[in-house]
Amino acid sequence: MSNKPSPSNWPKWFDPRRREAGSWAFILNRLSALGLTFYLFLHLIVLGTLAQGEAAYDNFLETIHNPLFILGELVVIVGAVYHGLNGLRVGLTSFGIGVSVQKQLFYITLAITAVVAVFFAVRMFS
Amino acid sequence: MINEWKITLKIYRQKGQEPPHYDTFELEVNPDEYVLDAIERVWAFRDRSLTFAHACHHSTCGACGMRVNDVEKLTCITPIRSVVANGGVLKVDPMRNFPVVSDLVVDLGSLYQRMDQVGHRSVLPLGEEPAPHPAAAPAPEDLQALRLADCIECGLCISACPVATTTPAYLGPAVLAGAQQHGLNGDLKLLELVDSDSGVWRCHSAFECTAVCPSNVDPARRIMDLRRQVIGARIARFFGRG
Amino acid sequence: MDKPHAIIIGAGFTGVATAHDLALRGFDVTVVERGPIANGTSGRTHGLLHSGGRYAVKDQESAIECIDENMILRKIVPQVIEPNGGLFIALTESDLEYGEQFIEGCEACHIPIEELKPQQALKLEPNLNPRLLAAFTIPDGTFDPLRLALSFAATAKSNGARFHLYTEVEGLLLDGQGNVVGVKTWDRKTNQRGELRADIVVNATGAWAGEITEMAGASVPVKPTPGIMVAYDQRLCQRAINRLCPPSDGDIILPQRRMMVVGTTSFEVTDLDYVPVIEEQIELMLERGAEMVPGIRQAKVRGVYMATRPLIGAGVTGRSIARTFKCYDHKASDNVDGLVTITGGKATTLRAMAEATANMVCAKLGVTAQCSTKDTPLLSYRQFYALP
Ligand SMILES: Cc1cc2nc3c(=O)[nH]c(=O)nc-3n(C[C@H](O)[C@H](O)[C@H](O)COP(=O)(O)OP(=O)(O)OC[C@H]3O[C@@H](n4cnc5c(N)ncnc54)[C@H](O)[C@@H]3O)c2cc1C
Ligand code: HEM
Ligand code: SF4
Ligand code: FES
Repeated sequence: MSNKPSPSNWPKWFDPRRREAGSWAFILNRLSALGLTFYLFLHLIVLGTLAQGEAAYDNFLETIHNPLFILGELVVIVGAVYHGLNGLRVGLTSFGIGVSVQKQLFYITLAITAVVAVFFAVRMFS
Repeated sequence: MINEWKITLKIYRQKGQEPPHYDTFELEVNPDEYVLDAIERVWAFRDRSLTFAHACHHSTCGACGMRVNDVEKLTCITPIRSVVANGGVLKVDPMRNFPVVSDLVVDLGSLYQRMDQVGHRSVLPLGEEPAPHPAAAPAPEDLQALRLADCIECGLCISACPVATTTPAYLGPAVLAGAQQHGLNGDLKLLELVDSDSGVWRCHSAFECTAVCPSNVDPARRIMDLRRQVIGARIARFFGRG
Repeated sequence: MDKPHAIIIGAGFTGVATAHDLALRGFDVTVVERGPIANGTSGRTHGLLHSGGRYAVKDQESAIECIDENMILRKIVPQVIEPNGGLFIALTESDLEYGEQFIEGCEACHIPIEELKPQQALKLEPNLNPRLLAAFTIPDGTFDPLRLALSFAATAKSNGARFHLYTEVEGLLLDGQGNVVGVKTWDRKTNQRGELRADIVVNATGAWAGEITEMAGASVPVKPTPGIMVAYDQRLCQRAINRLCPPSDGDIILPQRRMMVVGTTSFEVTDLDYVPVIEEQIELMLERGAEMVPGIRQAKVRGVYMATRPLIGAGVTGRSIARTFKCYDHKASDNVDGLVTITGGKATTLRAMAEATANMVCAKLGVTAQCSTKDTPLLSYRQFYALP
């Protein structure tokens, strides 16, 4: 491993050890962004199955009714909420608004995300 | 002097093309001494081949930046007791994102050259440096007096930056902060330099630079302010007034 | 190659300034330094660009050197200097008495001073002790130690000088007659041993000068005399604040960036490679500093460090030793040719020390080039890294 900057160092993006709140925000943002993008593709593929006729689609709806898929859906919702809220935080601070309270904004983002997570968890699993 | 603590120094070693490794040294220290003092003592009494950079020993030269237990520190003003407990291990690595010259020494050349490129002044009128403490605020008639700039070009912010880790071309926090302090003021070359994918827009807001900066620079805030300046300059130019 | 080759041992202030001077005079210059630039005394200096006022009473030779060099450095390296001047302040009757000698001394050394009423001084520096009795302005300044050295080194490099950093001189190469013809080196970066030959070796190792001369069986009367400095995390003054009294412990407060640095003390040691901080001296700096700027008591200590003066002198001790510098041609003193030692002096007089050394080197080698460092503006310190 070299000490020089290099694209091959990318795993270090996701290493939060001994780093501050800002790094956690960045890491979660990047992970949720990747997750959402992955989900978007999945979503498009699934929509593609519509073209194979109603039966295939109904079949699909059956399979996603198991709890594992519901949990997955919850993760997508939580990821999207976090990413969206943190996106606002990043957008604001990017233009100098709230830079000095960026940590607090991050904690608020996390708090709201947690509330939303609980809300949807209760609704989806009850 | 009372050497009341025992600590283990675990120091990154690398010579020439040899593969790196860690050497450990048991050391009796005074917890109120600084990490740099412990390192210098290893050189003085234990291993003369250890190389590390240092000069001023009071946070004005910026030579002694290292990673202490994986966090960027100016070792000359980091008291030992603030980073390790009695009997503990103190791991010392060279800064990231700069080529290692030998052991704890890295080549800061890219930083220095870029600071020149953005025209960061090392001496500024007093009024242009933010006073960090109200009691220190200069009298108005003194605002013309000159003082050395806060940024000591230590590179800690660049070592801590996750973007700099993967992007050698990224100017980096200290340099963008330097550009912000210089001000765009219609300087087209500077505008082109910072309004680029290696400039202000590369920052992904991890705010680690400000967290590790030992010298009151707050590079993250300055990068954000520079973005505003860049957009202002672009708009002005769009309307033919720049 | 026709250019005479000079090896300079040590890249403290003295070494880099000598490299600059010799490079300008057309020498082929190699600097061999066991650490980074200015890692010894030079990096750890207090940082006062002396006006000479501190020495104007007892040591006028040093005082005149200081004021002359102060004015030159302001011109050739403004990029590393806070040129804000200084004050000498009197707090007691005995300070006032010393003031009389001080005025005479400054006049004799053509150091421009101006007396201020206490209220005027307080208007300039509101954080001074309000009980001050008298004040004088003086053209002191603050310099950034590493960057001052780098500026000289950068300019030397641009004129062809080579720098071998982290390379220790472990021994001297001698010809059959005991004359010095080069150095034995240990590159600590790569752990490799080597040899370098030269027409002249300049020993600019400051407090360590005796270790090098010993390698040739020669000697210099260097008396290593460390002192402490304490940096506080607030900048409560914009000028160098000097106590109007004979040189003593903790008599100078220096603003630097966002800090103030109080110094210093003076005592003797034998082990130079690591000088531990003496706790009582930290307290002493606070006491003495707070007499001049009481607000220091509310500031936090940011750093404490020691540095070792390479004072010249045999017999006398500490503060009474003159602060001037001296060049030794070891041919004359020890019958060892090829080796010149430059030591003593101050950071402020680095250029003059280099001039004297280069003059001696030129005379020895029959080179006629004149010194031109007085009028040569130095490059940006950052160029040291830009140049190959
Ligand atoms: C406490 C204190 C405060 C001071 N304050 C001021 C001040 O405010 N203003 C002022 O003008 N002056 C001040 N001075 C004086 C000034 O700092 C010194 O005179 C000056 O730094 C000496 O520089 P130098 O190059 O001779 O020595 P150094 O800077 O010590 O350089 C010697 C170099 O030689 C190297 N070396 C040693 N042995 C070897 C070897 N075997 N091989 C290779 N390299 C070697 C060392 O690593 C070192 O870098 C102060 C001094 C002290 C001690
Ligand atoms: C509420 C709506 C959204 C907002 C406000 C938003 C905001 C942002 C912001 C500000 C960034 C830049 C972060 C940085 O500088 O590091 C970003 C990055 C990104 N976003 Fe979004 N986003 C939203 C929705 C989405 C969605 C739905 C997807 C995917 C389908 C997505 C995918 C990405 C990707 C891939 C990145 C790059 C990640 C990185 O560089 O770390 N975003 N988003
Ligand atoms: S901005 Fe701060 S951390 Fe970065 S180089 Fe300057 S002083 Fe060091
Ligand atoms: S040694 Fe100068 S900043 Fe630490």
